[in-house]
Amino acid sequence: MNRPLVSTVLVVATAALLGGCASSQATYVDPAGTRTLSNVGEINVQDWNMASESMINSLISKHINSGSLKGSGPDGRAILAISRMVNNTSIQIDTDILVKKIRVALLGTGKVVADITAGLGGPEDPLAAEAKREQQFLGTQKVAGRPDYTLSGKIIENRTRQGNQRESTYVFQMALATRDGLAVWEEEKTITKQGKRAPVGW
Amino acid sequence: MNFNPVRALATATLMLLLGAGCQTVNTTETAQPAFQRNMVSEKRVITDGSLARKVQILGVNVSDGPGGFLKVQAEVLNTTRRYQRFAYKWEWFDKDGNLVEGPSSVAVIRQVEGKESLFINGVAPNPSVRDFRLKLYENAR
Repeated sequence: MNRPLVSTVLVVATAALLGGCASSQATYVDPAGTRTLSNVGEINVQDWNMASESMINSLISKHINSGSLKGSGPDGRAILAISRMVNNTSIQIDTDILVKKIRVALLGTGKVVADITAGLGGPEDPLAAEAKREQQFLGTQKVAGRPDYTLSGKIIENRTRQGNQRESTYVFQMALATRDGLAVWEEEKTITKQGKRAPVGW
Repeated sequence: MNFNPVRALATATLMLLLGAGCQTVNTTETAQPAFQRNMVSEKRVITDGSLARKVQILGVNVSDGPGGFLKVQAEVLNTTRRYQRFAYKWEWFDKDGNLVEGPSSVAVIRQVEGKESLFINGVAPNPSVRDFRLKLYENAR
């Protein structure tokens, strides 16, 4: 038997096996870029990014940039509180992924402040809520009252299949309402993804 | 010339393969549009000739609203006869040239049919933004 050939094959096989061990190393990717992973049955980073980008652009261009925003907060800024965000999908998601991006963007406009003492499930910041109550009780400082606007929304899912082709659609709906309960801004963003089902799977 | 069934089948398959994925778009618009776009002169830095041949920017126009937010619209054309996927991302700069970051500066994936043109819109994250840059990415999923 050709010994040098066997040795070479063994060396190559060992190197390949060792090389395979290194593949478990994690790689950092830009979450705002195009290299993040995406699949059909879930809402991925890219989907949240695209949904929030669409909502932020719409809210700024249709309501804030048009000069329709009216505020009673500091420097005339509008006070925003977050209302109910309904997850009507089959997957467990934290809707704050979307809401926080929108809040950060709205605060960045310099036209809106968020009230984190008002919320459906209790205040987001209990200490701030307590401090606000104290200020209101003592009357030593002017404290912002009710929010000028509330933001609510819903995420809906629709799945379909044709042969081994699968499709998931996620519909992101949001509305901005005034104190009178009138919706002054509404937007809907639909994201549809298709993919093939693995021929063998569990 | 004799009929060769193998050659005929191969030709038909080739035609089918070439035709697959080609769904082009015909567009109609008014000859004298009722609007006047404020087109801006742009400087294009192209590093990927492959993408530039497939997806071209036809023009960029800007506008300002009462709120002072810069609004940019770019018209993009798929010069090929094939369906293309690409991604774009806006970058915003203040009057001093500093990058203004925000949650809306993310890559957005779009699809465009063969010979179709579409508009991509961007709104500045705050009124201090005075300039912008548009990045196009190839091979978006």
